[in-house]
Amino acid sequence: MDAFYASVEQRDDPRLRGKPVIVGGHPTRGVVLAASYEVRPFGVRSAMPMSRAVRLAPQAIVVSPRFTAYADASDQVFGIFEKVTPLIEPLSLDEAFLDVTGSLNLFGPPATIARQLRASIAREVELPCSAGIAEAKFEAKIASDLAKPDGQREVPAGTSREFLAPLPISRLWGVGPRTEEHLKAVGLKTIGDVAARALPDLERVLGDSGRHLWELSQGIDDRPVVPDREAKSIGAQDTFEEDVMGRDGLVHQLHSQALRVGRRLRRAKVKARVVQLSIKYSDFTLITRRRTLDEPTDDGQTLYREACALLDRVDLRRPVRLTGVSAQELGQGEGQLGLFAPQGPTRTDKLNRAIDAISSKFGTAAIVTADLAGDAPESEEEERIRRELGAARPKKPPASS
Amino acid sequence: MEFRIAADELRKALHRAQGIVERKTTMPILANVLVNATKSGVTVTAFDLDIGIVSEHPAEVLKPGSVTLSAKTLFDIVANLPEPTLNVKKLQNNYAEITCGSASYRIVGMASEEFPKLPKEENAPLVKVSGNTLLEMIKKTSFAISSDETRYILNGVFFEPREGGKVRMVATDGHRLCLIERDLVGDFKLKGGVIIPRKGLFELKRLLEEAPDAECSLGFAESSALFKKPGLSMVMRLIDGQFPEYQRVIPKEGEKQVVVSRNRLFDSLKRIALLSADKSNAIKLALADSQVRITANNPDLGEAKDDIEVPYKGAALTVGFNARYLIDILTVTESDDVVIELGDEHSPGVLHTPGDKSYTAVVMPMRV
Repeated sequence: MDAFYASVEQRDDPRLRGKPVIVGGHPTRGVVLAASYEVRPFGVRSAMPMSRAVRLAPQAIVVSPRFTAYADASDQVFGIFEKVTPLIEPLSLDEAFLDVTGSLNLFGPPATIARQLRASIAREVELPCSAGIAEAKFEAKIASDLAKPDGQREVPAGTSREFLAPLPISRLWGVGPRTEEHLKAVGLKTIGDVAARALPDLERVLGDSGRHLWELSQGIDDRPVVPDREAKSIGAQDTFEEDVMGRDGLVHQLHSQALRVGRRLRRAKVKARVVQLSIKYSDFTLITRRRTLDEPTDDGQTLYREACALLDRVDLRRPVRLTGVSAQELGQGEGQLGLFAPQGPTRTDKLNRAIDAISSKFGTAAIVTADLAGDAPESEEEERIRRELGAARPKKPPASS
Repeated sequence: MEFRIAADELRKALHRAQGIVERKTTMPILANVLVNATKSGVTVTAFDLDIGIVSEHPAEVLKPGSVTLSAKTLFDIVANLPEPTLNVKKLQNNYAEITCGSASYRIVGMASEEFPKLPKEENAPLVKVSGNTLLEMIKKTSFAISSDETRYILNGVFFEPREGGKVRMVATDGHRLCLIERDLVGDFKLKGGVIIPRKGLFELKRLLEEAPDAECSLGFAESSALFKKPGLSMVMRLIDGQFPEYQRVIPKEGEKQVVVSRNRLFDSLKRIALLSADKSNAIKLALADSQVRITANNPDLGEAKDDIEVPYKGAALTVGFNARYLIDILTVTESDDVVIELGDEHSPGVLHTPGDKSYTAVVMPMRV
């Protein structure tokens, strides 16, 4: 989707159409969640601190996010995708890979399918979107980025190298600012430069990632489209704004994370057998502790208790930068049944069901545990964005820590 | 202390002690046995603070006294002696001298005063019991005891006197449950039941197996159990806690009942479980008209099936089970046939002998 949140805002409020719009959180602490195409010429981009964006484009209209509206639009868009293929790998709320190999006989060549999908979205959801068509996932993503706004671009089979060669290396997956700098230092500016080098050369300069980048530069990428329902784990992790010392400050965040993971487990209708706790210290060393549960669970409080027990096995005399709770070995609860396990839903199941019902209607901030009351309202989409952007969670640990 | 004793007698005493003495203990004296010589003979005591046994043996006591000696060292020495009798003499500083024919040893001991005292339960009301019955009850339940130490309440067998001179023993690990009811007439003076811990139960089983026909008695004091047979007494600490309400999880009567040959089912489960998914031992029992089909499949290995003809006319049903649980039960089942009662794929299965529920096993299904 093009400038997804901003487009939804412009769709729903005619006064915003054709105007520079920024969707963002807190004016000083938040980040830009979306920038309409009208505001982009001023240099405003997603993930930029709001304070900077407002300086760059003082005339822009700042709108608070309405995550429910975005989620609804997203559901509609994915519903349209599902009419074409079941092989959908969501990358985020407004981006997905579709494998249409099996749909060609039904709907025609890929470019036709893309055009029809975009037309359906424009008609039914009234939002602009762009499509990239290619043999490999990363090429399709690049093609789609180049086609924006409201366009589509196809990389015909066998032309990958020509398509990729002139592009800057930062377009390659796995090339962050540091790698980019490193590559530029050794004279590699475009993807074509990488493709022209001999593989052993690159491996010497870049180590293990040399082969990967070289293959990408040739258009070699055989990663399949993996539908989300086959996810291997569900987790939440947050970086503190300032490093935190001591158990009290950490358990607070673990509670919030465990509850979020529980919610996502229940929404995906899976239960986890394993809980993993991740702790990153201020010196960036990362440690993990995990435990297998007696009974698979989708209850956030259970995950929290386990995470706290795991926390007790961790050195807490050092400042902590990040915590994470993840649920692994997911399943539909198959395996040995318990004799004394209650038949039917337990009190916890009923409680979670009620909480989920309230949250889905009034938002997750409408009902929270007492210790988390007063924290910044939490939303799954917000969390997803933070995860993708790697942004810090705008929350301070409680004063007691 | 000095006595002469037959090597066989001492070997028997030390063999009994082997299961109880602690090897990796923070209290070194618990790796020792207390050897006590009195006018009437020699006793050998082993104790791990939870379970203690006192084994009595005839000996020619030259001088009464006591010492503690390493159970393992003594056992190994006695197993390698050249002559059938030996002489044991306490020296200074708790050393002991063992002489036998041409061989002699001087081994390090510890003062008998440091050996912890066994709980004195002389007032426990002892009830005469049949060793064979007690042994049967232990054998048919103990395999279902939980080995999960976080569920310590389930780390033993529930011993529950019932009306009419009967006693029930129940063991469960939360996935399966075995219940046996047998005649053990006498007043145990228990309110409700007690939980006998696994280790004590296995030691008791070992002692019963020595001579199941011997006259035995069993009794309970506040927090321990007492067992006596000629020449031996045993005391063990009971598990403190409330055993779960086991009756609640035993289904009254399964809708679907199949009678099947015990041997046929046992063999079939063993051969089909070979292809069950590695850790879970999952197999499926499919009831259909006149047959039970047992199947297993393992994505890495393949699949297997075996059909058993049975006189069954009810509705079809497929239930997953851990084959290990069923095999464990059939291993201790002596009757020619067994009855399997089933409800649905999420309800417990019940196994018992046709027309007799005095030994009943309940097994929860697996979702497969």
